[in-house]
Amino acid sequence: MKQMTESQLQELEQDLNTIRDEVLADLGERDARYIRRVIRLHRALEVGGRVMMPFGFIPPVFVAATFSLGLSKIIENMEIGHNVMHGQYDWMNDPSLHSQTYEWDTACSSDSWRRTHNYEHHTYTNIIGKDRDYGYALLRLSDDEKWRPAHILQFFNYILLSVFFQWGVSLHELEFERIRRGEIRLRDKLPFLREFVRKGGRQAFKDYAFFPLVTLPVAPIVLAGNLGANLMRNLWSSTVIFCGHFTQDAETFNEKDCENESKGHWYLRQLTGSSNFTGSKWVHLLSGHLSYQIEHHVFPDLPAYRYPEISEKVQAACRKHGIGYNTGSFIHQYAGVVKRILTYSLPDRLRMKLTSQPA
Amino acid sequence: MLAKNTHTKALHWLGKQLFNRKDPAAFFDPLLEQLNPMLVQGHTPARIEQVIQETPDTQTFVLKPAARWAGFKAGQHVNISVEVNGVLRSRTFSLSSSPELWAQHGRVTLTIKRLPGGLVTNWLHDKPSRGAVIGLGEAFGGFLLPQPPRPVLFIAGGSGITPVLSHLETMVTRDFRAPVTLLYFVRTRQDIIAAERLKALESRYSALTLNVIATDESDKPRYLKSQDLKTVPGLKARQVFLCGPKGLMDLANELLHEHGVRKKDTHSTFFSTAAPALSPDLKNQALGGEVQFAKSNLEANSEGDASLLEIAEASGLRPRHGCRMGICHQCSCRKTSGTVINRLTGQASGPGDESIQLCISIPHGPVTISV
Repeated sequence: MKQMTESQLQELEQDLNTIRDEVLADLGERDARYIRRVIRLHRALEVGGRVMMPFGFIPPVFVAATFSLGLSKIIENMEIGHNVMHGQYDWMNDPSLHSQTYEWDTACSSDSWRRTHNYEHHTYTNIIGKDRDYGYALLRLSDDEKWRPAHILQFFNYILLSVFFQWGVSLHELEFERIRRGEIRLRDKLPFLREFVRKGGRQAFKDYAFFPLVTLPVAPIVLAGNLGANLMRNLWSSTVIFCGHFTQDAETFNEKDCENESKGHWYLRQLTGSSNFTGSKWVHLLSGHLSYQIEHHVFPDLPAYRYPEISEKVQAACRKHGIGYNTGSFIHQYAGVVKRILTYSLPDRLRMKLTSQPA
Repeated sequence: MLAKNTHTKALHWLGKQLFNRKDPAAFFDPLLEQLNPMLVQGHTPARIEQVIQETPDTQTFVLKPAARWAGFKAGQHVNISVEVNGVLRSRTFSLSSSPELWAQHGRVTLTIKRLPGGLVTNWLHDKPSRGAVIGLGEAFGGFLLPQPPRPVLFIAGGSGITPVLSHLETMVTRDFRAPVTLLYFVRTRQDIIAAERLKALESRYSALTLNVIATDESDKPRYLKSQDLKTVPGLKARQVFLCGPKGLMDLANELLHEHGVRKKDTHSTFFSTAAPALSPDLKNQALGGEVQFAKSNLEANSEGDASLLEIAEASGLRPRHGCRMGICHQCSCRKTSGTVINRLTGQASGPGDESIQLCISIPHGPVTISV
C-alpha cells in the first residue's frame, strides 16, 4: 500500500471532501427525476415480463419475457435497491426511497445487507480477516490466506457462487466458516436464520410457486422463465461485484495497518482497494454505477449517477497524490479477476513459478 | 363485511410477498402517476382546481381530494406534501372550508399566506398550475365546535382566520343557535382574508357579530384590549377559540383570565412555523447529552437545546422527517432508553422504550434511539 504521511492524508481528505460537498450542495430535482425515471423503467420491465411470461410457449416471447424480467431484477437490485439502501436518496424524504426501510427484490433481506455490506464491507474494505466480502470466505484471492488443497477446485466454487449468487449473498451473514471453526455456534445465528427463511421464502414463493401456479397450464414455462431471469441477474451482479475489488491491481490490507486509521487513510484504502470498468451508459446503469466502484467506495451515499460526473475530479486527486486509479475495459478487468481466482487456487510455489515467467 | 375484510387482508399479505413493501398498492404508483396523478395509492392525492387571490400575500386553494379521503370536522388541520426541488416537504395547514362542501361537492379549501423565506408557502404561491396534484394527509386536531351549541367567541389574527372560516361556514349550514362573536385582527384593511365571504356570512347569519380590527392603521398599534372583551355579552359563558400570532394569543390568554374566563373554556390551535421558544423553567435544566443512534451504529454528543433530528442531521444521518415542528409525526421513532424533553410542552418523557418525535425531542442526559 502506498505510504503517505498524516499531513498528506489530511490533504487528500480535504480534496475529496470538497468534491463531495459540491455534489451535496447541488442535489435536487435532476437527481429526483433520474431515479424516478429508473424506477418507472423497472416497473415497466417487471410488469411487461410477468405479463408476457405465460405466453412463453411462443419462443421469441419467452426470450423477451425472460430478458424483461431479468433486466428488471438487475435494475432493481443494482441501480435502485443497492443505491437507495446506501442512503443515496434519503435527502428526498420520500418514504418509499428511504435507506432504512427499503426492501429489495432478492433473497437477501435488506436488514442483513445493511449490516454486512453497508457497515462491514464499506468500513473494512479489503482488510483481510475483517472484510468478509473479500473472497466471500469461499475463495482464496491473495497470499494472506494459507493455501489448502481444497483451493484447487475454487474456480468451480466461483462458478457455483455466481449461479446461485442471490442465495450466497443471503447466507453471507450466517458466517458458516466461523461456525465450522467453532468460533460461533449455529444457535447464535437463529435470529438471522429466521430472517433468511422469511425473506428467501418470500422470494422463492413469488418466482417459483405463485406466478407459475396462477398460470397453471403453462406453469413449467413460467417457472423456467423465472429461473432464467434470476440466473441472468445472479451472473451479472456477481460479475460486476467481482470486478469491483478482485481485479489484478486491487490492493488488500492488514488489520494492523488500519487500526485507529484517519478518514484520509480510509479514503486511500477505498481508492486503492477498488477498481472501475469502462462501458456505455447502459453498462453503467445496469451495474448500478458500480462500474465506478472507486467513486462509489469513496462516496457511498452520493447518488450513483453522479459518479461519472465527478470521476474526472477523483482521478485528478489521485494524480495529484500519486495514487493509482485502477480502471480498464470490462473484458480486461474481468480477465484479471478470472486470472486471480485461478492463480491463487495453486500452491504458492507453483504460482510463483508460473507468474514469474515472462508472459 | 367480515368476508370482505379477510379478503382485503389476504390480498394485502399477498401484495407484501410479491412487491416487498408494506404498502403493496403503491408499487404501481410510478406508472400510474404518469397516466393520472389522481390514481396514486401511496398517499391521498388532491387536485388543485382553483386558486383564489385573497389578499396580496394570501391565496385560497380549492382542492378535490381522491374520494377515499376520510373527511374532517370543522377546525381541523391536514398535512399536505409537495415536492420542492426533488425533496418531499410536508406542512400543516388548517382547512378553511366547511365539511358540508366536502360532503356535497367533494371539495376542500386551504387558505395559505406566503411566509417570508417559507420554502413551501412560496412554492405553493408561485409554482403549481391549476390541475396540479399534491398529497393530502388525513385531518386531525381538536379545535372543534362545542356540541351541543353554546355561545362562542373567536379571536383570530391574520391567517389564523382559516379554521374560523371553516367553523363559521359550518355554523351557518347547521344553523348553530347560539351567539357567536368574531374579533378579527389584521394589519390593515387590505389584509382581510376572505373579506367577501365574511361579509356574506355576517348578512346570512344573524347570530354572528363581526368585529374586524386593524392593528397598524393608526400611529399607535391597536392591539386586543380589555374593552374589546367587555363588549362581548355573556363572556364568561362563552367557549373561546384562539388562533393567531403568538403575541395575540398570549395577550388574549392574559386578558381572558382577568375577565374570569376559565382555562377549560379556552381552545387554541397551532399557528405559525416559528420555532417555539423554550419555557424559562426548561432553560434551567441541563439539556443535551450523549445520543446513541442504534441502527446506524453512531454516537453524537450535544449540548443545549438541539433536537434529536438536528443532532442526527449534524451527524450525517438523514432520518425521515416532515414539518420539523412536532405536528406531522413523519419523524416518529422508538426511543429505547433515556429521557427527552418535549420542546413544545417542556415535559420530560419517561425513561423507557417509547415512540418520540425526533424534531421536538431534546436529549436530557444519555439517550438511545433506533435511527
